Amino acid sequence: MRSLFKRTTLSDRQERAVQKTLKNLHAQRRNRFRVLACIDGSDDSFITVRFAARLAPNDDCDIIVLFVRPIDQGLWSGGLQLRLARQNMMDAGFELPGVRDLKKALAILKEEGIDPESWPREASQQDAWGDPAGDTKVEYRSPGGRTVVLKLKTAPDAANGILDQYELGPYNLMILGEPSRWRGEIQSWFDAGVVQQVALMAPCSVLVARKSLDKKGFFICTDGTSRSMQAVRRAAVLAYVAREPITLFSVATTEAGRPAAEEAVANAKALLKAMKIDVADTRTAVGNPAEEIIEASPMHLLVVVTDEGRSRLQRIFRGSTAIEVVRGARTSVLDVR
Amino acid sequence: MSAVAAASFELARDSLQAHEPSARLSRLRRLGYQRYRHVRSQIDLFTLWEKRWFFIALIVGALLIVAPTPSGLTHEGQIVLAMSVMATILFITEPVPLPTVPLLIIVGQVALLGLDPTKVAQSLMTDSVLFIMGSLMLAVAIVKQRLDKRIAWWIVRMTGTNIYWISFGITAMCGALAAFIGEHTVAAMMLPVGVTIITLASNDPKNVRNIAAIVLFSISYGCSIAGVATPSGGARNAIIISYWKDFFYNPFDPATYRYLVDYVTWMQYAFPMFLLRLPIVTILLMATFKPETTDMSRSVARLRTQVMMEGPLKPSGWLTIAVFILTILGWIFLSEQLGLGIIALIGVCAFLVLGLVRWEDINSGVNWGVVLLYAAAISLGVEMKATGAAEWLAQSFLFVLAWMGAGTGAAFDLALSLLTIGVSNTMTAGAAIAVLGPIILKTAVVAKVDPIIAGFIAAISSAFGYLTPAAQPAFTIIYASGYLKGADFFKIGIKMMVVSVAILMLLASLYWPMLNH
Repeated sequence: MRSLFKRTTLSDRQERAVQKTLKNLHAQRRNRFRVLACIDGSDDSFITVRFAARLAPNDDCDIIVLFVRPIDQGLWSGGLQLRLARQNMMDAGFELPGVRDLKKALAILKEEGIDPESWPREASQQDAWGDPAGDTKVEYRSPGGRTVVLKLKTAPDAANGILDQYELGPYNLMILGEPSRWRGEIQSWFDAGVVQQVALMAPCSVLVARKSLDKKGFFICTDGTSRSMQAVRRAAVLAYVAREPITLFSVATTEAGRPAAEEAVANAKALLKAMKIDVADTRTAVGNPAEEIIEASPMHLLVVVTDEGRSRLQRIFRGSTAIEVVRGARTSVLDVR
Repeated sequence: MSAVAAASFELARDSLQAHEPSARLSRLRRLGYQRYRHVRSQIDLFTLWEKRWFFIALIVGALLIVAPTPSGLTHEGQIVLAMSVMATILFITEPVPLPTVPLLIIVGQVALLGLDPTKVAQSLMTDSVLFIMGSLMLAVAIVKQRLDKRIAWWIVRMTGTNIYWISFGITAMCGALAAFIGEHTVAAMMLPVGVTIITLASNDPKNVRNIAAIVLFSISYGCSIAGVATPSGGARNAIIISYWKDFFYNPFDPATYRYLVDYVTWMQYAFPMFLLRLPIVTILLMATFKPETTDMSRSVARLRTQVMMEGPLKPSGWLTIAVFILTILGWIFLSEQLGLGIIALIGVCAFLVLGLVRWEDINSGVNWGVVLLYAAAISLGVEMKATGAAEWLAQSFLFVLAWMGAGTGAAFDLALSLLTIGVSNTMTAGAAIAVLGPIILKTAVVAKVDPIIAGFIAAISSAFGYLTPAAQPAFTIIYASGYLKGADFFKIGIKMMVVSVAILMLLASLYWPMLNH
C-alpha cells in the first residue's frame, strides 16, 4: 500500500546515488558562468547569441544556445501526423527548422571570435513529449574547459521550454530577444508573451536584448538599498570583464530626495573603487524612476536594473520599476536577480 | 586585460548568480519545470482560464437544452442542435484535445438522447469512415516509398529550368496526385522536393525567399485545388457523399438513385474546379512573390545528380506505383459495388502483404483521433436529420437568407459558399462539412435547390480556407518546413479565395445545370 504513495520506483540506495550525481553536476556547473541564449529563428533573435559571446568571453564561461520547438498539433494536418512529413524531411537529409537556426548561431559565435567547430563535440538525443525528434543537444568542449551547447528542445510552448531548461542546469544569465508584445500585470496572468512570461518567472538574471550592440557602456541604476548595491557590484564585474565603461545612475522621486540619490551613486562608486573597477560617469535625475531611466539610457549598450523580487500580487499594487524598464527601454536591459 | 580580469574576478562567483529554483519546487525539481507546471495546471485558475471554452461550451449546451423548445422543433432535435453547437465551439477553440470531442458526442448520444448504445456504435462505422481511414493508411504507405525526387525529376524534365514552368509543373503534378491520394499525403511527400529545389538554388534561404514561397505554395496550392477534384482527395468529399446517401437515398425509389454519387460522377462535377484554377495559381504566385531569378538550372543539375546517384527505380517502387494505380482504378470502376472504403482497405492490405510498409509506420503515421472525429461527426449529422433538427435549422437559415434577398439562385449559392468558407477558416475542412453538411443539404431542399449542387458548393468551398497556415492540412505541413511566414499565407490566400469563389459560382450557374445526373 505504501508504494502507491511513493513518488519514485528507485530503491533508497539508487535514489541517493541519483541525488549525489545531480548534486555533483550542479556543483560543477556552479563554478561556471553559464549563459543561456534563446533564439526563435527570426533574424532579430540572433542578437542574443552575440550578447552571449560578448558577455561571456572567458574560459570559465559556458554558452548554451536554445531553440524551443512546439509540439505538433495533429489535427491540423488532416489526420496524417505532421511528424511523418518531418521524418520525410530528415530522411531526405534536411534539417528541422531549429537545427538550421542553431547552425546559424554557431556561425555567429565564430564571427564573434568563438569557434566551437574546431573543438571536440558530443551529441545526444532523447524523446520528449512523444515527439520522435525530441530534444537534441550538441556539446562542444574546448581544451580550456569551456563548453558551447546547441540545444533543440520540444515543449508545449516556448516559455515553458525555456523555463524547463533552467531546471536542467541553473544559469547565471538568460538572454532573450526583444518582446513583440507585453501585457499589463493582470492581463499577463492569462495571456503573456514568451519574453514577458520568462522575464517574470525566471529565477536568474535576465537580459532582454535589443539592437544596441553598436553602443558602449553599462548604464547601472541604483536606489541605494543593499539589494541594489549587490546588483551594482555583480553587474560591474560583468562590465569589467566585458571591457565596457560604467555609468552609475540614480533617480530621486522629488527634488528633496536628490541628495540621497547623489549619495547612492557616490556609495556605489566607492564600492566599485574598492574593487578596483573604474566608473566612467555618475548621474542623477529627479522624476519617475522608470521614465527617467528609459529617458537617460538609450545611448548605452545596456541598462542594469535591480529586480525588486516582488510577487505578482505585489506588482499589481506596488508596480515594479525593473519590469517597467525592461518593457519600455529603447536599449537592452539586464534585470539582475 | 582578460587575463587580469580572470585573475581579479571569477564571473561565476563575483558576477550574476545562478539561483536555485524556488524551494517549493525541490521535490519536483528533478521531474522538470514543465511537469511541475503540468501538475500545477491541474489545480490553478490559469487552467480554468485556459479551458474556459470547454466550460463555456458546456454552459451554452446546458442552457440550449433547458431552454423552451421553439415551435416546429422536437426536444430531441433541440438536444442534437445543442450538441452541435457545443461541438462547433470545441472544434474552433480547441480547449481540449480534439479527439475528446467525438468521444463526448458518442457519450451525449446515449446519455442525452437516450439512444441504444449498440445502435450508436453501429452508426459510427460507415463506408465513408472506412474510406477516410483507408486513405490515411494509404497515405503513410505511399509517403514511405520516397518517390519524391524522381517525381521532381519527371516534372523538370517536362518543364525545363524556368521557375515559371517549374512552378506550373509542380502545381500540376501535386494536383494530379492529390486528386487521388489526399492532399496531406502529397504535401508530406513533395515537401523534401520543394526544399531540395530551394536549397540547391542558393545556400542562404534569405536570398531566395520569394522562390521558396513560389515553390512551396505551388506544392500546397496544387494539393489544395485538387483536393476537391475526386472523392479520394479529402475527408470532406467522403462526408458529403455519405450525407447524400443517408439523407436522400431510398432503395425503393429509383428517382433517388442519383444521390448515390460515385467516383466518376464526382469528378464530372468537381474536376473542372482543379483544371480551371491550375494556371491561375502560377499566375497569382508570380504576381505576389516576384522571383529573385528565373533560371533554376543550378538546382535542376544538382537534382539530376541526386536522382542518378539513387540508381534505377527499385522493384518496391514499381510495386508501389502498380498498387496505387490499381487502387485508383478500383475507385473508378468498382466503387458502386464495393464502396470507396473497402477499395481503400484492399489497397492498404496489398501494401502490407507485399511488405511495402510496416504496420508500425501506419500506426504511428495516422492520427486515429481524426478517424474517430469524422465518425462521430457523421453520426451526429445523421441524428440531426432523424430528429428534424436539420430541417428546422434549414428553414430558419433560409428565412434569414430570403430576408437578405439571397433565398434563391446565384445569391443562394454564394451565401452557402461564404458560410462554408467562413466556418472552414476556423476549423478543419472535414469537421466544417460534417457540422454544416446536414444544414446546407436541408436548406437546399427547403429552398427547392438541388441538394447535389448545394452539397458540391459546400464541399468545394470548404477547401477555400486559404488565409492561415492552420486552415488546410497541406498548408500546415508546408509551414512546418520553416521557410514561410504566417503573413505569406494571407498575402496570396485572399486573392486565391476571391478567384476560387468566382470560378465556383460560374461552374454552379453555367456548367453543373448542363450535367444530367
